[in-house]
Amino acid sequence: MRVGIVGSGVMGEVHAAGWRQTEADLVGCWSANLEQAQALVDEYGMRVYHSYSELLENSDLIDICVPTFLHKEMVLQAAAAGKHVVCEKPIALSVEDGLEMIEACQQAGVRLFVAMVVRFFPQYRLSRELIAKGQIGTLGVMRLKRVAYVPRLELSDNWYLDERRSGGMLVDLMIHDFDYARWLGGEVERVFARLNKATDGPGQYAQAVLRFKDGPMALIEGGWAYPPGVFRTALDLSGTDGLIEWSSDEHAPVRSFTLSKEGSSSAVGLPTSGLSDDPYALELAHAYHAILHDQPFEVTAKDGLEALRIALAARESIATGKPVTL
Amino acid sequence: MRLGILSFAHLHAEGYQAILKTLPGVELVGFSHEDEGEGRRFADQYGLRRFAQPQDLLAEGLDGAIVCSENARHLELVELAAKARCQILCEKPIASNLKDAQAMKAVCEQNGVHFMTAFPMRFAPSTQSIRAAIGGGQLGQIYGVNGINHSEIPKAHRAWFADKELAGGGAVMDHVVHLADLLRWYFGEVSEVYAEVDNLFYPGEGVDTAGLLLIRLENGVQASIDCSWSRPTWYPRWGHLKMEVVGERGTAVMDSFAQYLNLYSRQAARAHSWVGFGPNPDRAMLGEWLASICEKRPPSVGWNDGYQALRVALAAYASASTHAVVSLERFS
Repeated sequence: MRVGIVGSGVMGEVHAAGWRQTEADLVGCWSANLEQAQALVDEYGMRVYHSYSELLENSDLIDICVPTFLHKEMVLQAAAAGKHVVCEKPIALSVEDGLEMIEACQQAGVRLFVAMVVRFFPQYRLSRELIAKGQIGTLGVMRLKRVAYVPRLELSDNWYLDERRSGGMLVDLMIHDFDYARWLGGEVERVFARLNKATDGPGQYAQAVLRFKDGPMALIEGGWAYPPGVFRTALDLSGTDGLIEWSSDEHAPVRSFTLSKEGSSSAVGLPTSGLSDDPYALELAHAYHAILHDQPFEVTAKDGLEALRIALAARESIATGKPVTL
Repeated sequence: MRLGILSFAHLHAEGYQAILKTLPGVELVGFSHEDEGEGRRFADQYGLRRFAQPQDLLAEGLDGAIVCSENARHLELVELAAKARCQILCEKPIASNLKDAQAMKAVCEQNGVHFMTAFPMRFAPSTQSIRAAIGGGQLGQIYGVNGINHSEIPKAHRAWFADKELAGGGAVMDHVVHLADLLRWYFGEVSEVYAEVDNLFYPGEGVDTAGLLLIRLENGVQASIDCSWSRPTWYPRWGHLKMEVVGERGTAVMDSFAQYLNLYSRQAARAHSWVGFGPNPDRAMLGEWLASICEKRPPSVGWNDGYQALRVALAAYASASTHAVVSLERFS
């Protein structure tokens, strides 16, 4: 299938690199930022398209890597053109928009894959497999951490920091762990969250307590709070018969200690897996094969929507100071 | 200085007696423990004189007494010790309800004795350096704290920890007070508590074994406390005390018991264990208590510290049962 990428920012580039590791025919990119798009196509051997409709005409699958507030419009257009869609997370800014996108794709007979990439990180996948095999018994308390630095204003046009465009830190960043917790724990009953903002600037730090209908509870920590370049993730999953611990602080197969250039961190923090299989390539390859062979996705657009629902409930809890029942 | 231990029900009694024996000028007169079989065993194991009744030990004339009974029995022993004009070091949580805790304060005041709450973590270099970093402004304005006090179920060491009557609760009652106290010490009083509390790890037990608290302090800092008994009994150690303080200018990550060796031994109770080589905060805590007795002054950690931390634990239970944020004002 021919794949066209919309957007040439951080995720456009990460996805282009990912697609290059699959058998997809990566045809080109359309982006509002022509200069950035040109650099991207030069790097990954594809061409720039000058309109969305031109890209749609020449693609079988559209990969939407634009800021979240544009997802809905792009997905609806792709569905109307009869093209399959890979859409970056979060699916949308509201549950209603997400539902509309899912329904539009269903009616058009095209597939919609929401790129919940954490499900393709090997340590998160393996943890789930171990739990599914009963290695830690019944799940009790989950602890998940995803704290990064503040997205760099000068490199990212600030849209991550604009809640109207990104949904904010909970919807853009913490959604990964809301999704992962739901993958392990099932449906959420109740959410309580708190967030503190920097006295100056866009820094923020949040903590959310989730209670699941089947019993487990989770503490999810997220933030744009660390010094530039620092991004830490961790999981701690405890059950009646055992425990799984992992932290990005732990030693990696390779560690290097070098003099770093001033301001060398990327616009927005991305966790790395340190393994040969790039999780972004894995998720794109999975989506590609599932579409090609008409097989179910391992993570559905509905899952992406439910993760959004939890993130929005957490945001509501922060605003009201009260727990939110789903 | 003549000291005694009132009850060996709490396993910390074993650690305290070992430290006290090494301190010059300290005479550990003995301990009281009502269960004869257990009492004999402790007496033989540690070479200590056992008194069947706390009154018998107090009749020996002590300068200070450490209360190491089950939580629900603290009050009765504190009353006896105060009336015997003994300075008191009381295990945490100081009581299982506020009424008992308030009665302790009253009896100590009436008899002119000082009450120290056993919060050893205040005496750990790790928690002290975090306090200095916060106070010195190195972390900038603080967003929040991620606090963890995990352990295995303490039942294997002492059954009463999982007995609601004697302990007053489970993991929340056992662990919340340590981190609540450190947070108060760093930032001031707690204003609101939200908590999810349940027994998720030991279906047969009658107490909570899982607890997640999300609290707010009066200065606006938010903090989570995970007090769960979520470490398996085959974990390399009893558990840990960790804290991450996230601020606008930096983050400090604390793991108070990070100084350990990995031991893989055929002989040890655990196939893989973490054997600590860091400073023992109990030793410094006992040092402060003894110094306060010598200098006839109040100890640095008093009754109010134990009381305020207990309020947080009790508020967590109230929040969990109502699924609502609980204001600490309700608990006085």
